Amino acid sequence: MNINAMPPCQAACPIQTDVRGYIAAIAKGDVKEAIRIIRQVNPFPSVCGRICTRTCESACRRGQVDEPIAIASLKRFASDQTRELKEASKTGTYYTEKIAVVGGGPSGLTAAHDLALLGYSVTVFEAHDELGGMMIRGVPEYRLPKHVVKDDIDLILSIGVEAKTGMKLGMDFTIDDLLKEYRAVFLALGSERSLFPKCKGVEQPGVITAVEFLQQVSQGQRPYLGKHVVIIGGGHTALDAARTCIRLGSTDVTVVYRRTLNEMPAGKIEVEEAESEGVKFRYLTAPVEFLGKGKVEKVRCIEMRFVADGSRRRRLVSVEDSEFEIMADAVVLAIGYNPKTDDIKDIEIISGKRGTIVVKDESGATNIKGVFAGGDVVSGPMSVIDAIASGKRAAEAIHRSLRNLPQKELDEPSVLKPLDEKIVSLIDKAGRQKMPALPADDRIKNFEEVNLGYGKEQASIEAWRCLNCGSGAVVSDDCAACLNCVIVCPYGVPTPGEQKAQIDISQCQACGICAAECPASAIDVRLETKEEGRNKLDEAIAAAKKAAPDGFNIEFFCEYQQPEENSGEKADTFRVGKPCLGRIDIAQLLRPFEEGSRTVRINKCKRHDCRFKDCEQWIVKHVQAAKNILRELGMDTERLKLTEEPGNN
Amino acid sequence: MVVAEIKPLKEIKEMVKKFRKILVLGCGDCVSVCLSGGKKQVELLSMALRMAKKLDADEANIGEQTILRQCEPKFIELIRDEASRYDVIVSMACGAGVQALVDVIGNIPVLPAMNTKFIGAANGAGDFLEMCSACGECLISQTGGICPVTRCPKGLLNGPCGGSRNGKCEAGPDIPCAWILIYDRMKELGRLEDLKNIIEVKDWSKNQRPGRYETAIKEETGTDPEKKRPDKAAAK
Repeated sequence: MNINAMPPCQAACPIQTDVRGYIAAIAKGDVKEAIRIIRQVNPFPSVCGRICTRTCESACRRGQVDEPIAIASLKRFASDQTRELKEASKTGTYYTEKIAVVGGGPSGLTAAHDLALLGYSVTVFEAHDELGGMMIRGVPEYRLPKHVVKDDIDLILSIGVEAKTGMKLGMDFTIDDLLKEYRAVFLALGSERSLFPKCKGVEQPGVITAVEFLQQVSQGQRPYLGKHVVIIGGGHTALDAARTCIRLGSTDVTVVYRRTLNEMPAGKIEVEEAESEGVKFRYLTAPVEFLGKGKVEKVRCIEMRFVADGSRRRRLVSVEDSEFEIMADAVVLAIGYNPKTDDIKDIEIISGKRGTIVVKDESGATNIKGVFAGGDVVSGPMSVIDAIASGKRAAEAIHRSLRNLPQKELDEPSVLKPLDEKIVSLIDKAGRQKMPALPADDRIKNFEEVNLGYGKEQASIEAWRCLNCGSGAVVSDDCAACLNCVIVCPYGVPTPGEQKAQIDISQCQACGICAAECPASAIDVRLETKEEGRNKLDEAIAAAKKAAPDGFNIEFFCEYQQPEENSGEKADTFRVGKPCLGRIDIAQLLRPFEEGSRTVRINKCKRHDCRFKDCEQWIVKHVQAAKNILRELGMDTERLKLTEEPGNN
Repeated sequence: MVVAEIKPLKEIKEMVKKFRKILVLGCGDCVSVCLSGGKKQVELLSMALRMAKKLDADEANIGEQTILRQCEPKFIELIRDEASRYDVIVSMACGAGVQALVDVIGNIPVLPAMNTKFIGAANGAGDFLEMCSACGECLISQTGGICPVTRCPKGLLNGPCGGSRNGKCEAGPDIPCAWILIYDRMKELGRLEDLKNIIEVKDWSKNQRPGRYETAIKEETGTDPEKKRPDKAAAK
């Protein structure tokens, strides 16, 4: 059992975002801290908060209890809430080398951002007039508004990244030219050449590619494709095209996909959203021919089915004599797209099949010294987070190569294992917060953003569902093996070990009760360590003594509570927040008195479904024990007050 | 293990009345396990004493330490320097620990914060029962592993007496009758016949105090008090 094992969400993220950290910050109402944690690794929080493919959510252990945490939506919340707090700190240039990035999409801009923060002078060359790549040209605005992308891009530029738009590789400059002025070049050219199915009639007017269609719409055009539109494909692009057609007035829009919903890359949630807007789906269907006179009028399709082929995999074959026709005023092809690298003529870059640039390893080094590549041009179309990850790896690799540092070793992090069933059954169930959205009828009339984002209360309730995996109890060598922790734990996690108690970090729920009851003070809970707790209390007492030397009060409150609007706070009361009050021990309750506090208030919340089981009974026990000591000292026990806050019900 | 209970705060306050520099010393063994004298309890007692001193407008410098076992001179040696900064040590160990401290740290008074109660075992959550009287001649092989010397208030070797009612002792409603426990146990073991054997009177000379136990690796220096207290030897 590795106490430094990573929570599954962080391990699943291509850039290993500290999900646990930012969600804990949101749960306590600290959005500034949340966005700071996110931005440590991700320069596109507003974008990812909306369109990320969220492997973290599939890995989320809360999913074992009820539903995974809405990790992406909470990221969006943090970035939306801090939009005005643009902290554009222009970093200095520490190194003399200049770096060129070709491609102003998520991969290129992330590499530029990271390199600028490291202290390099970076210039981004973008062929189009606007930066953003597929974020602004491929994803429709009802999923990702342009001004949101611009916010993230502006912040990147503000740290000192230079951008030159309208400059196309192969036309306005060559890689050779760049290498004369720049010490390293990062090619993040993206992938935009659509694939065509091998069907007759594909060259007919009315058969268009999704990529070009979406680009036109992103530039403000509003082409009406006709009443009947058939979309071929099953990825996000296919659905983007379908829902865009609905908004442009087509009323009979059908997505044709050769496999089933289970294999569809777009995912069930997006399919549901599309269906609620009127998009129809035909699964296990493939196009055979596009028919029409002068322009396309029908698509002849054939049904598909899976057959076992002797090995364990299934093969997809067409069903005999099952051809049928669908009416189509237009056909939109969305079966994939490859990079366009045949423009790069001057330098020999080894190109793989499908036109991708071949790289030596994860860092993106090509066969030419100083030239790196990443993003869709290397991998083929993948998610925006994969592009960001490749940009980060390339920036790191370029920096190490220029500074003669050894390249980073990529090691597999150890991951927390799943929760035991017995623990899952003890956690109170609470479903995911529903994302507020425009009503289905309103959505299809325009390109307004469909999902409206969580409000403060929703975000705080959703963030509170997070189990803070891995931030539980650690037992030190001071353990006297009294096994009190085994007795008091509401989840039955600690077990008697050979020499001391053993607490499995992957199962511990971090309630802190064992730590408060440990007679040897041998348990530290990472959610709030003893040192953190002590410092918080010391700071509050120091502030109190300074501001109210004639007399002050100390109040403990639960950080997961919404603060009352009018808490009746007096100027001489100083508050100390704790992630649930069950973890306060008797010494902490008495400490303020030792330092001269007039009263100590414990603002207990009213909720009875606290994630930290049994916290109520321990708060009461500790207060009683503290009062006993006050009584023995001849002090007024009323100076220690246990009160109830209105809680979330 | 040894079970001890902290004295009432009033009594401890009174004991340290005339001292200003006080070291509260905990023990990481038995008293930690029975939740009375470990690091956590040291913290609480120190805090209570500080507050008490303040209320009496007395100056005080109260230090906190916990060592692994106070009944072991070598562990006590580890804090000898620290202890020399104080006027008195308030020990939260059992009586053995307090006296070991006295033996090793000569020039500073040592006060007991605890009342040592018995040798016992945990009886479920946070509850401790006396199990053994340290009589020096264990006979519980004859009573199914249950000690009548300790667990019967009269210490009867051939019970029960006439005061046993519904499995409980006449001395208290929550004291199970030890001999009923023994009977049930022997029945379970299929040894009821053995209970017919009379257990002879105990040889209490085996329990002569103070007890002493010498093992094969007995240290040479252990016997000579002068070697243990070099300061005293030098003073002579």
